[in-house]
Amino acid sequence: MNKLIIGRYLPGDSIIYRLDPRGKFLITFYFIGIVFLANNVASYGFLLLFVLFAVYISKINLGFFIKGLRPMLWLILFTVLLQLFFTPSDNPMWHWGIFTLSTDGMRIAAYIFIRFVLIIFISTLLTLTTTPIEISDSIESILKPLKVIKFPVTQVALMLSIALRFVPLLIDETTKIMDAQRARGVDFGEGGIMQRIKSFVPILIPLFVSSFSIAYDLAIAMESRGYKDGEGRSKYRVLSWSKRDYMSLIVMLLITIILLFIRSY
Amino acid sequence: MENIISIKDVTYTYPEAKRPAINGLSLDIYRNEWLSIVGKNGSGKSTLAKLIDGLIESETGSIIVDGQEVNEKNIWEIRSKIGIVFQNPDHQFVGATVEDDVAFGLENQGIPRDEMVKEVDAALKMVDMQDYKTRDPQSLSGGQKQRVAIAGVLATKPSIIIMDESTSMLDPNGRKTVLNLVKQLREEQNMTIISITHDIEETELSERIVILRDGEVVQKASPKTIYDMGHKLTNYGLEEPFSSQVAYLLKDELKLPEGYLNEEELIENIWKLSSKI
Repeated sequence: MNKLIIGRYLPGDSIIYRLDPRGKFLITFYFIGIVFLANNVASYGFLLLFVLFAVYISKINLGFFIKGLRPMLWLILFTVLLQLFFTPSDNPMWHWGIFTLSTDGMRIAAYIFIRFVLIIFISTLLTLTTTPIEISDSIESILKPLKVIKFPVTQVALMLSIALRFVPLLIDETTKIMDAQRARGVDFGEGGIMQRIKSFVPILIPLFVSSFSIAYDLAIAMESRGYKDGEGRSKYRVLSWSKRDYMSLIVMLLITIILLFIRSY
Repeated sequence: MENIISIKDVTYTYPEAKRPAINGLSLDIYRNEWLSIVGKNGSGKSTLAKLIDGLIESETGSIIVDGQEVNEKNIWEIRSKIGIVFQNPDHQFVGATVEDDVAFGLENQGIPRDEMVKEVDAALKMVDMQDYKTRDPQSLSGGQKQRVAIAGVLATKPSIIIMDESTSMLDPNGRKTVLNLVKQLREEQNMTIISITHDIEETELSERIVILRDGEVVQKASPKTIYDMGHKLTNYGLEEPFSSQVAYLLKDELKLPEGYLNEEELIENIWKLSSKI
C-alpha cells in the first residue's frame, strides 16, 4: 500500500501548500484542459517548463512525481508504442507489414508521452500538497451552485469527509482481519489466480460486516451529537481566498495567452 | 433532591427479540448526581441510555428529561442537553482532525465560527488535549481518543453526560485519567453523570449504583451498601470487588471488621493484625 503515490498527501510547507485548495483544484483541471491546446515543440516545452517550475517551488522531491508515473507506466508505454508504429506517413523510415515508423510518428509519440507526464505530474502535485479533507472541502464549495437544481451538496460533502475518515480505519481493520485469518491458516498471495481470489473471501465478508457495524455506531454517535440533516449547520473549517490565489489565477491566464500565441506561431 | 431524569414504567423490545430489553423500568436520577448503572451483558444498560437520548422510542411509559418529555417534538432540545460518550472511540469520530471532531456538535447547533473556535479550544483544554488539535484522531492512543470524544461532548455544554462503557477499552491508567476528569467536571460544571459499566470497580467514585438484570432494576443503593453485599453480587451476574474477595478468603484466618473495606482499608487492617503478633 505504501508504494501508491496517487491520492497520498505529503506534509510540507511551501507556497503551493498555502494556496487555497479550491483554486488548486480548479487550476489542476483547467491545466489538464489546456494541455490539449499544445500542438508544437515550443508549446509542449513551455508547458513542461511550467510544470517543472511548479514542482520546484513545491519543494517536493522530483522522485515522488516519478513514482506517481509508475502505476500508469503500462498505459503510457502502450499508447506511445501505438502512436510510434501506427501513425500513417507518406515517407516512412521503416515499413514492415502493418507497422510503420516515421518522424511524424516519433514526434506524435513524444507529444503523447509529454502529455501524460504533464497531466500526471500536475495531478500528483495537487494530491501531494492538499490534504484529503481540503479536497473534499473544495469539492463542496465548487458544487455549491448545484444547490439550485436541488443537488444535496452538504450531504454529499459530509459523505465524502466520512468516507475519507474511514479509509485509515478500514485499512487498519483489513490488516487486523488478514492477520487473524493468517493465524487460522489462510494463505494470502499463494496458489493460482482462482485460489487467490477465494482466499479474499475471509477478508471481504468480515470487512463488510464490520463496516456496517461501524457505520451504525457512527450514525448513532452523530445523531446523539445533534446531527439532523446537514441543513442549518455552521462550518468550522473555512477556506480563505487570499492575494496569492488571485496571483495563481493570473499566472494561469498568462499561460493560456502565451500558449495560444505559441500555438499559432 | 431535584430530579433531572424521571423514567416511569418504560418497556422496550428490540425488533425480532423474544423478551423485552427494558421491562417496566422506573428510575429517578437526581441533578448533579453521579449514578452508575451496572449489570451483566444483555441486562439492558445501553438500551436505557439510548432511550433517555431518544435514539430509540419506548413502547410504554414516559421519560422526562429536565422537565421535558422525550418525544418526537422535544427530541433535539433534549439531545442538546445530553452528551453521550460511547464505548469504542474509533466509531464515534466524525472529523478528520481532533478540532473538527470537537466542533461537530457545535456545527450542528449552527454556532458562528468565531465562537466555535473559542469553545473548541476551551473544551480541548478541559481534557488537556490542546496540543493535539490538528492531529488525525486515528493517530492517537485509546485514552487520548476517549478524551477527545469527551471534549466533543463538553463543547456543546450538556447538563447530563452519559458514559456508555466508555472506559472498557482503556488500560488502567487511561481509565483512571478519564474517570478523574469526569469527577472534576461534575464538581466544576455542575453536571449529572450517568456511567454505564459492567465492572463494579469503576463505580467507586459514584454516589449511587443501580443494578440492572433482564431489563429491570434489582438494586439501587450507595456504593458502600452494594459492596457490602460481597459474595451476593454474583447473583446479579457481577463480580465482587477484589478487596472483598480477599476479605472473604481471609475471614477464617483473620478477624476483619464487618462490612466492605476498600483496598486501602483492607491493607490497613491486615497491617494492624500482623503487628499484634
